[in-house]
Amino acid sequence: MTRRINAGIASVALGGLLLAGCSSDGDQPESTDATGDTDAGTGEVVELTFWHGYTEADGDVLDGIVEAFNDEHPNIQISTEVNPWDVIDDTLLPALSAGDGPDIVAMPAERLPVYADAGALASLDDFYDGAGDITPALNPGAVEMITVNEQRYGVPTGFVPLALYYNQAQFDEAGIESAPETWDEWVDVAEQLTVDEDGDGTPEQYGMVLPDHATVANGVWPSLFYGNGGGIIADSSTAAIDSEANAETLRYWQDAVVNDSISPTGVDGIGADEVFSSGRAAMTIGGPWMVFIAADNEIELGIAAIPSGPVEQAASAIGVSMGVTDKGDEAAQAAAEEFFAYFLNEQNSVEWSLGSGWPPLRTDIAPEQVAENPTVETLTGMADLGQPLLPGVVNSVDVLAAIDELTQRTLAGEDIDELLDQAQSEVQAALDN
Amino acid sequence: MLTTSKARYRAPAPLGGRPRRRPPRRRSSGAAWGMLTPALVVLGIFVAWPMLVALRMSFTDASGFGDTAWVGLDNYVRAFTDPDVLDAMVNTVIYTALFTPAAVITALVLALLVNNSKVFFRSFFRTALFLPFMVSLAVGAFAWSYLLDPQVGLLNYWLSTSGVQLGNVLQDPTLAMPTVALVGVWKNFGFYFVIFLAGLQDIPASLYEAARVDGAGVLRTFRSITIPMLANTFTFVLVFAMIAALQTFDQIYVMTGGGPYGHTQTIVMEIYDAGFGRLELGFASALSYILLVATILLSVIQFVFFGRRGKDLS
Repeated sequence: MTRRINAGIASVALGGLLLAGCSSDGDQPESTDATGDTDAGTGEVVELTFWHGYTEADGDVLDGIVEAFNDEHPNIQISTEVNPWDVIDDTLLPALSAGDGPDIVAMPAERLPVYADAGALASLDDFYDGAGDITPALNPGAVEMITVNEQRYGVPTGFVPLALYYNQAQFDEAGIESAPETWDEWVDVAEQLTVDEDGDGTPEQYGMVLPDHATVANGVWPSLFYGNGGGIIADSSTAAIDSEANAETLRYWQDAVVNDSISPTGVDGIGADEVFSSGRAAMTIGGPWMVFIAADNEIELGIAAIPSGPVEQAASAIGVSMGVTDKGDEAAQAAAEEFFAYFLNEQNSVEWSLGSGWPPLRTDIAPEQVAENPTVETLTGMADLGQPLLPGVVNSVDVLAAIDELTQRTLAGEDIDELLDQAQSEVQAALDN
Repeated sequence: MLTTSKARYRAPAPLGGRPRRRPPRRRSSGAAWGMLTPALVVLGIFVAWPMLVALRMSFTDASGFGDTAWVGLDNYVRAFTDPDVLDAMVNTVIYTALFTPAAVITALVLALLVNNSKVFFRSFFRTALFLPFMVSLAVGAFAWSYLLDPQVGLLNYWLSTSGVQLGNVLQDPTLAMPTVALVGVWKNFGFYFVIFLAGLQDIPASLYEAARVDGAGVLRTFRSITIPMLANTFTFVLVFAMIAALQTFDQIYVMTGGGPYGHTQTIVMEIYDAGFGRLELGFASALSYILLVATILLSVIQFVFFGRRGKDLS
């Protein structure tokens, strides 16, 4: 009997310990201000956590701005937690669902509508309406990318149009003096740079690498569509992929890639970076990080805007933004907005731009102000070409999957009209979902 | 009066004397429950409770945030009518059909070879064959992706020196699934191999000796002794391999991301996309339960089928 009682007591004790370990410490003082008992105005410290995915030198610059903010705002203390973007995406949902997670979170632009629509992010309309001269000066495309259901849910931390990056040495070797400015010039130059020494039909060097799925920031093909006056959506609820303009675009590049072999096929965005950095392709479409990739591989890099299409010169933009998680805490939101205003002031905008390698987010900052970084100066000159990818679209996952299938099968030589018809149905279904 | 008495047969006492009749042990179920409770508590908190929550969630439109609404069987109806999910189910079946027999047969054949005492360097082969299973799944998948890369991959380079063009197998709609299944076999067969090896070593040598004395050849010995004695191990490995195949995710996620255009998209990847990509936790939970039920059904069928067959063979 004694043994049974002892066993029972031990079981209850162990179960209690486990339950205690799993329960939230609701009776403990919150480390953040999530209780709502504190705010910036009462002299108590508001503590915020900030998740971001800037893991390279740009992360050091951002952390430096946060530290400077903490020093200047003793009543608000922000601690940053750095993880790769996909890790943030995977952990944000369970963390917030459990009532935990960050107060401020940065994420790629196409993910923001998903979380905003689910109610995970707080609206920042008040911030935009009351931030004086700062927010009106923001790149309109960058603001459009954080607008969901006509409300603004984020503050941009990066907005840069995709650009053409080329191997200057291979250009010099082929006697090409300048970057192409139109599609026809682009294909001509690519043909000149395509080298099949042994004549086996597989070039040893491609003129360019045109990824056909999971492209850089999913923006390569949208850039081409924009260049010919097409696009993916008319608005956040209407598909517009099945258009004559897009059909012409796809035929043009299908012919160039499949018949003229100017690019390998079946390559994704990461693969494109590898093909370019290994010297097997002379041109690629990418973002500012290509500067570091080129330096690591001792490639002399040239940068130019994506060549103009038959209708206009445009490029899909790579966007990153930060939002405030909706924990119903006004003090935390006010503190976060104070940080956003600090982040976007002129001095920090220039510092962040130079440190991250991305052009300034404010249109009132002249290229000369960032001239000490030639890459940033070049990208700043083309900032107005950038168009946000799928602004306000909640189900971007399925839309992008449909575009990937369209472009991959196009470069596999399939019938474009049928593919566009199918893509239109799939994109519309995703928008309706 | 002559009386005869019939002597009653009394069996000889076993060596060591007859066992003394012990008093019946009292069942101490309380102590048993006490010992089990810690494990049950852990299982309850970390397995049963999440499963119940997920079951409830599968009947809602939960996104992980805000209010959720009861949607009845809508998520289950959608699962069986959504073309992407149906494609993913078909892909999962194809992967399972390619992976399971290949992994099990490879493991069995290699176990039979390495179990042979005439084979040199048996310890080396045992370790070498088990090694892929020790490699992290993501690392193995990355390594194979690089090896198979048509532009910078070593495998393509080596083959091209012999005039063979492998092409972009991971982006070929026909070859992508067999390729990822092959890498899956490479990664996992080592585990099944070790189990088979243990099963083979459990078979008493006296059976083989008796068979040899009776004049049985290698094939007859294999058919009449090895297979029946391995029946339970075989069933276990088969069910284990099938469950692994049905739940495959990481390796395909790394190697193809479900591509080319959905040709390697499995049901678990569909669950991931629904849950983490679109924040449709209700729908993702419904898909998880469908996978769970399918896995249980297939496992039961296999246990019943191979259980009967094992009895027949015995």
